[in-house]
Amino acid sequence: MTAAARMLTDIFTITEFELRKVFHDSSQIFVRAIQPLLWLVVFGGVFGKLRVLPGGSYNYLQFLTPGILAQSVIFIAVFYGITLVWERDLGLLHKLLSTPAPRSSIILGKTFAAGVRSILQALLIFLLALVIHVQLHIDPLSVLGVLFVIILSGMCFSSLSIVLASLLKTRERMMGIGQAITMPLFFASSAIYPVDLMPGWLKAVAIVNPLSYTVDALRALLVTGNYSNLPRDVGVLVLAVAILVTLAVFSFRRIIE
Amino acid sequence: MAEQPTIEVADLTKRFGNFTAVDSISFHVDRREIFGLLGPNGAGKTTTIRCLLTLIKPTSGSIKVSGINALKNPQQVRQLCGYVPQEVSVDGDLTGYENLLLYAKLYGIPRTLRKGRIEEALKFMGLADRANSLVKTYSGGMMRRLEIAQVLVNQPRVLFLDEPSIGLDPAAKRMIWDYIVRLRDGLDATILLTTHDMLEADELCDRIAIMNLGKIVVTGSPEQLKANLGGDVVSIATTDADCASILSQLGYQLLARSSNCNCDLVINNGEQAIPRILEELKRHGVTAQSVSLKRATLDDVFLSYAGTRIDESETTWRTARLTRRTIRRLRQ
Repeated sequence: MTAAARMLTDIFTITEFELRKVFHDSSQIFVRAIQPLLWLVVFGGVFGKLRVLPGGSYNYLQFLTPGILAQSVIFIAVFYGITLVWERDLGLLHKLLSTPAPRSSIILGKTFAAGVRSILQALLIFLLALVIHVQLHIDPLSVLGVLFVIILSGMCFSSLSIVLASLLKTRERMMGIGQAITMPLFFASSAIYPVDLMPGWLKAVAIVNPLSYTVDALRALLVTGNYSNLPRDVGVLVLAVAILVTLAVFSFRRIIE
Repeated sequence: MAEQPTIEVADLTKRFGNFTAVDSISFHVDRREIFGLLGPNGAGKTTTIRCLLTLIKPTSGSIKVSGINALKNPQQVRQLCGYVPQEVSVDGDLTGYENLLLYAKLYGIPRTLRKGRIEEALKFMGLADRANSLVKTYSGGMMRRLEIAQVLVNQPRVLFLDEPSIGLDPAAKRMIWDYIVRLRDGLDATILLTTHDMLEADELCDRIAIMNLGKIVVTGSPEQLKANLGGDVVSIATTDADCASILSQLGYQLLARSSNCNCDLVINNGEQAIPRILEELKRHGVTAQSVSLKRATLDDVFLSYAGTRIDESETTWRTARLTRRTIRRLRQ
């Protein structure tokens, strides 16, 4: 087997077993859908009445749904590093690292699994949105695009989380940092209001925030149907994933020392 | 000449910041040998194993496993090795079968062999009827057995066991020892294990290295090390105050803690020496009131080389883990 084939096999093996874990306890997907659901129904329902959206031919719930989809992905991915710290404390990580699988495959496998896992999460939100009659643009191509974007952003934020876990090393600190960054990431993006409404400094943050590009891409695919910014959005996400996964591979050894 | 050792370690040193966990140690393990690193918690045993397994990079020194340089070709070395960490390292959120399947895949066991080997290993370790239960429902002993089953599936040439029986009850301990010997015989494997359990080292290991504060203080077979101490201790109690002086006149080696009436003497083959000693004492008019024999243990060996006792009673795996976690936090 060539090195590349072996690497792909390892990545898929790790993904496969991460997903098996999710299916052994699928209730976690439902529990984790509660918060996004509240955002969509409560926040979306009330905030929508304020009519803050400047113009546009779609309503606030339509605008919000891609934002909440993205939120459901990152709020979980950002805490992914805690799982690794936990696995390190248990000795699982040491054993995984003592296998012939290269570190890069292990990290890619873990982040890819986090990405695929996000799909299950997003799917639930998606169904909820349909249940409360949010008008979404659904065709096979846009659904595939949405899945792709969700995997990318799941990978992006879970590898960010692995980098943080390598530096912080304890579950308590990871909880703290996770809580500290999720809200700023969320608010400094186009998830719940358009970037144009933001003050200048916040706009600057939103521009470097990968979440903005996730939301933008999802919104183009599901609501506006205007794909002109899509190559840019996906490009930024791919770049962010490449950088963060590389960082994660290199910082990862620190987590077990 | 003897063949090349399976594991060769020379001048291995690992520092974490200012703390030297492993301090310039050298040893070798021959093929099919069960070699033990014996020492208290914090002696540097686990760090040594992790260096050998290429999990952490040594600060200096060289490591060869089956002739392969572990620092240059870590992946090749990992392909040869199996590892059972001290902490329970099976995944509770997967079934027993899935745990074995995951690692069989990562070790590249061919698809055609996987299923058969996994089922056989589960059966051999008495886990077949629980193969499809989540591992978090297993008992501690079953989890350890699952870890050994995993070794059986991957059939490594070199096996590293970190405190293999820690936290297990005596019966489960015996069972694990039995399996370790069978692993060596069945897989023709070379085994390096760490332990702070004297009995385990004595029963299981062909040779041991005693580690303390990051250094190897002595290496040898358990029998050899115990013999080096001079042998067993015979304690004789009498009412006769001349006992001590008579014994030393007869040329026996008395321990410093002896008093006139209570004598502790060091002697080889204590069981056979006792009648002779009593005979000689009688001839000098001394009658012994009680005699006891204490065989030399590895604990005595450790005491004489490291200057402290390994306190077994206090160090349960719980405190071991707690210490480890504290150390890790301190290191950041």
